[in-house]
Amino acid sequence: MKLRILLADDHEIVRRGLRALLEKHEGWEVCGEASDGREAVEKALQLNPDVIIVDVGMPNLNGLDTTRQLLQHDPHFKVIVLTITDSDQVIREALDAGARGFVLKSDAARDLVSAVEALQNKRMFFTPRVNDLVLAGFLEKGQTVSRNETPKLPTLTAREREITQLLAEGNSSKEVASLLNLSTKTVETHRSNIMRKLSFHSIRDLVVYAIKNNLIQIELPPPKAPAGPTAA
Amino acid sequence: MTIRILLVDDHPIVRQGLKTLLEGHSDWEVVGEASDGAEAVEKAKDLHPDVMVLDVTMPRMNGLEACRVLRRQAPGLEILFVTQHDSPQMMREALDAGARGYVVKSNAARDLLAAVEAVSQHRVFTALHGRTVPELT
Repeated sequence: MKLRILLADDHEIVRRGLRALLEKHEGWEVCGEASDGREAVEKALQLNPDVIIVDVGMPNLNGLDTTRQLLQHDPHFKVIVLTITDSDQVIREALDAGARGFVLKSDAARDLVSAVEALQNKRMFFTPRVNDLVLAGFLEKGQTVSRNETPKLPTLTAREREITQLLAEGNSSKEVASLLNLSTKTVETHRSNIMRKLSFHSIRDLVVYAIKNNLIQIELPPPKAPAGPTAA
Repeated sequence: MTIRILLVDDHPIVRQGLKTLLEGHSDWEVVGEASDGAEAVEKAKDLHPDVMVLDVTMPRMNGLEACRVLRRQAPGLEILFVTQHDSPQMMREALDAGARGYVVKSNAARDLLAAVEAVSQHRVFTALHGRTVPELT
């Protein structure tokens, strides 16, 4: 029987590339595609795929929260997180969310097939940078003084994180309510709880928080180069 | 007539996606690929493509710089940007650098074929998100 894979990325061109890469492999088929996290959760529940590949930077519901929701629905889902960044925080969040694979988009052509093969054989796959981080965390355990510990932020619930992302993407409370099939009043209650928990006073604070915590990602233009070749 | 295309993007997965889309057209041929602007300039010398599909943000040499170099090096080559930047300013900069086309990556599946068709006939094709402007100059 074929291994069935669900692909979630907001760029159709990337999904096409991933599909072409995965379907070259005998015995694998892409059984569905989703263009945001919410659609990924819906399709996963409908299609019950063997492996789910989830991009981190997606609108409406980002890939990390998608992973959390998927595993809350069914802890047997096998999720590979695909990301443009290997920052410590994204890696930690992906591991915490329960991802079994972590692949950098820039290395996907090389690593994604290995990652799917690993999951198929009930193993995990992480880009080498993750192994370093996990090992560093392991070695640090047992030391009495922890260095560079960041102060703990108040924890938002899954629903609050979802609403934070939608508000930071520029939706009004009414629009959020319609997207999540909630009443505007319920969304406004969540909104004031979020603002109170985080001690925020404006939507601007919320946007900055959403960017810092990888709920949303922003695109930056390449730096202006006065002359000669430079890195973009 | 066969249109010879050189594909330039730093993400192999994106190149693969663009390639499957372009190769759906029987008369078009992807003659080569490059992963940054400097490699694009080098490969254009050898391969003489008709159209270059070019990303903006890339390491070593970005697409805008490559475009300026290619304008001088290969005046007959038509350049089409396919980029994540859904911005009129970036589009203007791309056209000023000498590109004939500008398409946003998130809409590439919708706009790319029409854009390659247009620029290969030396017509301008620009499309920002949800808005196609075929003859803006």
